[in-house]
Amino acid sequence: MGADSGPGIPAAVPWRKVLYERQPFPDNYVDSRFLEELRRNIRVRQYRYWSVVRETGLIAQQVSWVAIFLTLWYYMEQGALVPSAVLLVSMGCALLGYGLYEILGGAGVRERTRLADLQSAAIFLAFTFGFSPVLKTLTESVSTDTVYAMSAVMLLAHLVSFPYAQPSPPGSLSLNAALFGSVCLASRLPGALHTFTMLSCALLEFALWPCLLHRIREKAKWSFPWAAGLVCLGGVGGVGSLWPEGAVLLSMALLILTLLCPLLLVHLQRHKDNIHGPWDEAEIREDLSHFLN
Amino acid sequence: MVLKIFFPQCCNTADSGLLVGRWIPGHNSAVVLAVIHYPFIPGQVKKFLNELQSQTQVELIVLGSWSMPKEGQEGMDSFLKDLSTIFPQKCWLQLSREIGKTGFTCHVVQNNGKILQDPEQENGDGSSEKDQITLIHYDQRKVMLSQIHPLEEVKSDSEPSELRLVFQTVAQSQLLFSQDKYDDGPLKLTHWQSEGREASIIAELLKQVSVPVCFFLSWLLSLWHYFWSFRILNVRPVLFISSKLSTCVQSGHRALNFETAFSTKRAATHTDFMRKANIFVSFLVDIALGLLLISWLYRENRISKLANTLVPVADRVAKELQELLEWLMGAPAGLKMNRALDQVLGRFFLYHIHLWISYIHLMSPFIERILWYVGLSTCFGLTFALSILSDMVALLTFHIYCFYVYGARLYCLKIYGLSSLWRLFRGKKWNVLRQRVDSCSYDLDQLFIGTLLFTILLFLLPTTALYYLVFTLLRLVVVLFQGVIHLSVDFINSFPLFAICLRICRPYRLAEGVKFSVLCDEPGTPLHLMMEINPIKFTSVLQLYRAPTYSCYPKDSWAALCKKLFVGELIYPWKQKKNAKTD
Repeated sequence: MGADSGPGIPAAVPWRKVLYERQPFPDNYVDSRFLEELRRNIRVRQYRYWSVVRETGLIAQQVSWVAIFLTLWYYMEQGALVPSAVLLVSMGCALLGYGLYEILGGAGVRERTRLADLQSAAIFLAFTFGFSPVLKTLTESVSTDTVYAMSAVMLLAHLVSFPYAQPSPPGSLSLNAALFGSVCLASRLPGALHTFTMLSCALLEFALWPCLLHRIREKAKWSFPWAAGLVCLGGVGGVGSLWPEGAVLLSMALLILTLLCPLLLVHLQRHKDNIHGPWDEAEIREDLSHFLN
Repeated sequence: MVLKIFFPQCCNTADSGLLVGRWIPGHNSAVVLAVIHYPFIPGQVKKFLNELQSQTQVELIVLGSWSMPKEGQEGMDSFLKDLSTIFPQKCWLQLSREIGKTGFTCHVVQNNGKILQDPEQENGDGSSEKDQITLIHYDQRKVMLSQIHPLEEVKSDSEPSELRLVFQTVAQSQLLFSQDKYDDGPLKLTHWQSEGREASIIAELLKQVSVPVCFFLSWLLSLWHYFWSFRILNVRPVLFISSKLSTCVQSGHRALNFETAFSTKRAATHTDFMRKANIFVSFLVDIALGLLLISWLYRENRISKLANTLVPVADRVAKELQELLEWLMGAPAGLKMNRALDQVLGRFFLYHIHLWISYIHLMSPFIERILWYVGLSTCFGLTFALSILSDMVALLTFHIYCFYVYGARLYCLKIYGLSSLWRLFRGKKWNVLRQRVDSCSYDLDQLFIGTLLFTILLFLLPTTALYYLVFTLLRLVVVLFQGVIHLSVDFINSFPLFAICLRICRPYRLAEGVKFSVLCDEPGTPLHLMMEINPIKFTSVLQLYRAPTYSCYPKDSWAALCKKLFVGELIYPWKQKKNAKTD
């Protein structure tokens, strides 16, 4: 800077930071005001540890749901669960969930009418029931390893692409990947009714539960950690009933996800060094108020 | 400037007389066409030239004089000079031969009386500014008959080149050459056929006969057109089928050709003439080949032998197809196909083959008779026989075509479904208005059904694709065979046989340019050059005179064809939807 502001420059004309005017200064000249507008870390938020932990519950419960789904599928394939019973239970759960959803919704303006909901439900059930024989024979000639690999990839894709910031309605790619994976798995089950049951369960877990959870988070904030914890417990318990070591691994993974990762985030936040200035592009600011202390 | 004099070879030894010819406008050159011998009356010469000029539209004038020394004809020079006053011209050429010399001398007298002599003789140095004279000898017959190429000047508005003008002049003054020494006219001329006119009795007879024959044939053609204008033949299905049968297409093409070849109008231009001749010669060759085929076919009971082998062959093809389908219904090449769909498709196609076999067996007693009558059409030419063969192949492999269409439609449906559902899978949709993929938020039920269908289509795709692949390959074999037949028909239809024969037997008729060789370059005489005609190349003959053909095959590039095959669009022959609609 010092080298640029050489002697012999008339101080009468002040230097302006514009290119469209011819000024009596060299091209690379800047004066002492050059970095006045530099700002550091203006948008870095200091997260509070427990609020971050609370938010990671969403991820943990989604992982747990996949675990629960796989457990359910394993029991169905072994024949330990009667499909009609599972179907009845899941129907009951669905009705319960719907009731809860309606209650939590309160008397506000409804986006969808009850008739539209009923229509959707009818479409789900009719298509799944109609296609279940086809789906049953769909992957008959494909080897089991291929089917497992495909479902694993698809469920992973579901977890990766799930819109954790805005879980209702679930994103297209995540829902589709989950459904594709569950169709692959369901086609390995012994009967058409098994397939139907499995797909209904998948629909409940991956399509409808995120909507309910979102509403719970909005309207009854206190109950969200409990709900997430419950789901995590269910997932660990389910895996534990099949494979205890797996349950230990899953619970460790969940603990790391919910406790260690937020600690890391909060800790690393101190090392952040962002510079801002008038050269920045315009930025759209998200509403991150609920992360603030 | 070099003064060029084009001099016919045949006049080299002519008796003395007047040179008749033309100054090429815009160029410093003259074309000598003939020599008028002594004795003549100047008035008669002028009258004769005027008559010729009005008939041929060539500005024929007396260019100068020609003197051939003989015993007892001395002191002509002064007489020749005097002639220039009788026929006043801007320039007067005096050509004269001397005994014992190959070259002849040339003097040019301007109308102011100044003699322009051969420069080397007169002024040895500093002569470069003076005019030089070059005598170019040409073969009058060849130049008259030849047609210079390219037919049109590149720039039509620019002046035609000098060479073209020379050729035109010689060709247009054909009337001048019709007078030979046996004619009892007032004037005696020397030119290429002054020893007697060149003609052939057969050619003259043919010319006489051709007019009534052409009338008769055009009458027959009008009958044919009348027949085709019947309403019943122009309704949709008939029209559609006839546009697909190559026999009908070929006969239409033949009728069109006849209309050109046998029109009662005389061919005006060289191109018209060549087209007519080409069509006529290929027609003759076609008929000759057809008659050869017929004479082979209707001997030794070959028709019935053919019919007896045809049915077993069709049977055999059907059997092979059946085995192929049974193989496909198992686990073909170890591929994992969807068993249920595989069975359904296999049974569907097997039923088709069953239908086909019963159809063939129903037909078998009549096949020999059908073949016998159809074979008669070979006398219309080999192209008709080939077209009928192509049609018969198309009819006998109709089942393969059906399989192909079913397979392609099914496959196409799957591909389209999968591509749109894949967009749904990613949460996108095709925006028709903006012609691009936009993101879109779907409802839950839409997503659910879409994914369900996507999964089903994806797992069923290999089965359909395999069936499609196998039947497409079969279809391609048939199309290839038909394509070869059509190519040969096209070849016979469009090959410029007459032009090729002309190029081989009379190479000077189709000229592409000229080349000069030095005849003699003696001091004291002007430079003598010999002009020879360069014949046109064979490839350009093919390019220029190839007759236009109907083409019913797709004009796709290979890449487009591969893309179509991949997407499952139907290829040849029912692909011309647009044309069929506009008809």
